[in-house]
Amino acid sequence: MPLGDFTPLSARSALAGRADGAATTARGRRRTGALSGERLSPFVLIAPAVLVIVLFRLWPLLLGVNFSFTGDGERNGAAVGLDNYAELFADPLFLGALRNVAWLVLLLPVAVAIPGMLATFIYLRVPGHRLYRSVYFFPAVLSPVIVGSIFNLLLSFDGPANKLLEALGLGPVDWLGDSDVAMFTVVGVHVWATFGMSLVVFLSGFATLDPALLDAARSDGARLSQVIWHVIIPGLSRTIQFVFVTTMIGMLTSMFGLIYVMTSGGPGGSTYLPEYYIWIQQGQMNRPAFASAASTVLFLVMLVVGLAQVSFLRRTGRED
Amino acid sequence: MKQRVLWPAAVAAMLALAGCGSATGDEPSSNAASGKLVVWDWKSSDKTATAYVEKAKADFAKKHPGVTVEFVAQPFDQYYTLLGAAIQAGKGPDVMMFNGGGQIRDRVDALVPLDQYVTPDRDRLTGWAAFTRDSKVFAAPVTLQGHPIYFNKNLYKKAGLDPQRPATTWSGFTADCAAITKATKATCFALGNKEGAGIQFFLSAFGSGALSPQEYDDWIAGRRDWNSPHVRQIFQLWKDVEDRGLNSKGGNSTTMFTDAFGIFQAGKATNIIGLMSDIGHWKDFNEFLGPENVGVMKSPVITDGATPSLPFDGGIGYGVAKWTKDPALAADLVRSLTSTEALTAFYTNAGAVVSDTTVKAAEPAVTSLVADLKTGKPALHVALSSKTIELMGRLSQQILDGSVTVDAALKQLGESDRG
Repeated sequence: MPLGDFTPLSARSALAGRADGAATTARGRRRTGALSGERLSPFVLIAPAVLVIVLFRLWPLLLGVNFSFTGDGERNGAAVGLDNYAELFADPLFLGALRNVAWLVLLLPVAVAIPGMLATFIYLRVPGHRLYRSVYFFPAVLSPVIVGSIFNLLLSFDGPANKLLEALGLGPVDWLGDSDVAMFTVVGVHVWATFGMSLVVFLSGFATLDPALLDAARSDGARLSQVIWHVIIPGLSRTIQFVFVTTMIGMLTSMFGLIYVMTSGGPGGSTYLPEYYIWIQQGQMNRPAFASAASTVLFLVMLVVGLAQVSFLRRTGRED
Repeated sequence: MKQRVLWPAAVAAMLALAGCGSATGDEPSSNAASGKLVVWDWKSSDKTATAYVEKAKADFAKKHPGVTVEFVAQPFDQYYTLLGAAIQAGKGPDVMMFNGGGQIRDRVDALVPLDQYVTPDRDRLTGWAAFTRDSKVFAAPVTLQGHPIYFNKNLYKKAGLDPQRPATTWSGFTADCAAITKATKATCFALGNKEGAGIQFFLSAFGSGALSPQEYDDWIAGRRDWNSPHVRQIFQLWKDVEDRGLNSKGGNSTTMFTDAFGIFQAGKATNIIGLMSDIGHWKDFNEFLGPENVGVMKSPVITDGATPSLPFDGGIGYGVAKWTKDPALAADLVRSLTSTEALTAFYTNAGAVVSDTTVKAAEPAVTSLVADLKTGKPALHVALSSKTIELMGRLSQQILDGSVTVDAALKQLGESDRG
């Protein structure tokens, strides 16, 4: 009976209760019996997991937040209040990074629509759909560094992409060197590299679609666009939501490798994302406390986005 | 039953082992003469640096036979991130490699001033300024780094120009470029500014041709006037060179390391502002173009009254960490790492222009570089903080793609430099 060890704990709570008067004491005593044994066992069983989370997740998080209120360099370790945050929000580079996050959120529907459309075509058995299924998934197994290097070559100023444009009589585009274009190039490559996974999710969603509905629509004389709009999309609403959430997370958390390889945040800081900013401040500028402040802001942004997604999912789940 | 006996035994054995481990771990610290020194760098794993490391180790072993030295080669692009973590923790390597300039000046809090230990080497080695802050030396220079303008003599010949006498004025220089482009289609410069490094090289290579000697010295001493017309002229040239099509195309998406060097090596550009050591230097270019075709020139005169000079500084050097148990011992290792014998090996194998003025150069391109060292001055960009350098890199890209004007960029740089 190892749980017997915990009786003193409950006894202590009963003692504390006594201060409130006789009635509470009596209730406390009654609870003592019930608390021991089985009622405590769930807490004991989750204790290791909770401890791991508190020790390795929450505690470092709090340390990081606390660290962000201290200074760097000459003011190392000294409390500086909100100085780091004030500097952060006055830095056009960081604001640019946040603006790029907003761009990512805006581009999300495109990133979801592409695998959705392609999966639909595969499901509707366009000629060669077996080949496409594997070809589309292929980039998903490549690391961002490899993908970045491949596209660095393809999109370099004298590379094949510009040669092709030239052959078509269009001027060359500096895909990665023009600050108005570079962010869209990188997002495009990211979508190319990751849509295979979403495609697979969509295909598994199609497996749950009732074929009788499709046949019914067809025999009623529905066009392809009407089938997609009135049968496929409503039938796949849960899958679409799931892909939205996972694609969003992927965009916000795993573009560092691509940016590092393809643009290094340039040109002119136009492809900075908060992660990259944090890395530069910590590694190149030697300002760990300032980087902590940026990390805290990124954490809050992710928290807001995450909570919004959870509530969105919960609401749509209830509709079903 | 058997298991119950085994478990406590296993735990006891593990505890005993752990105890052993910590006991042996503490031992060297109590006896410095027979301890261990850990060195962090990004060079020692290069094949070309093997002989250098061996010579340095042998030299140190003669002085301190009981001390073992361990070299830990870190990947360069992660180096300062890893070092930052070590500095934050207050423990790490005893001796570490640094780039001269901002990278070491930002981190002197973690280093031991070496002045008292390296006095005997002060005259033999050059390039100390890049490792000095507030007139204290924090590392001993190993190589020299500078930004000579290399040119392709073969292209000069093809255009009917004399490669032995490159132009000494800016207008002459661009006229030569125009002639070469007409004859060979090679652009004037190979430009790689993806990392934002192109502007650093440009500023330092042409700085001595635009600033007056007084302005130049003031800049290095920390009195930098970003509103000076001569400083503005350098940045305006940066823009003009691009606008007039003198650069190789797509500079913002071309890496300096190593795509831009590749353009020069392929003979598609006449000039490149390169380096003296490590990479993108005479030895690399010799391999592709042949030693007889690699020329070196100083900046042409851009404004009257300027005296062009070779911009160079201490390139890489070794410093001693504050947390090391015996700074004198670690400083001795730094002295071994900068011994004439070790540096000679580094020059021979890696082609680095080393800090030791007594090492004799053999190749023609180096001979002219070494000759220019006497009149050379510290490079302009090395005097800037890493924050300003990073900002300058971003602004230079924006100047090239037209999203920022030269004046707006100079205003921001001035503010960053003062702040």
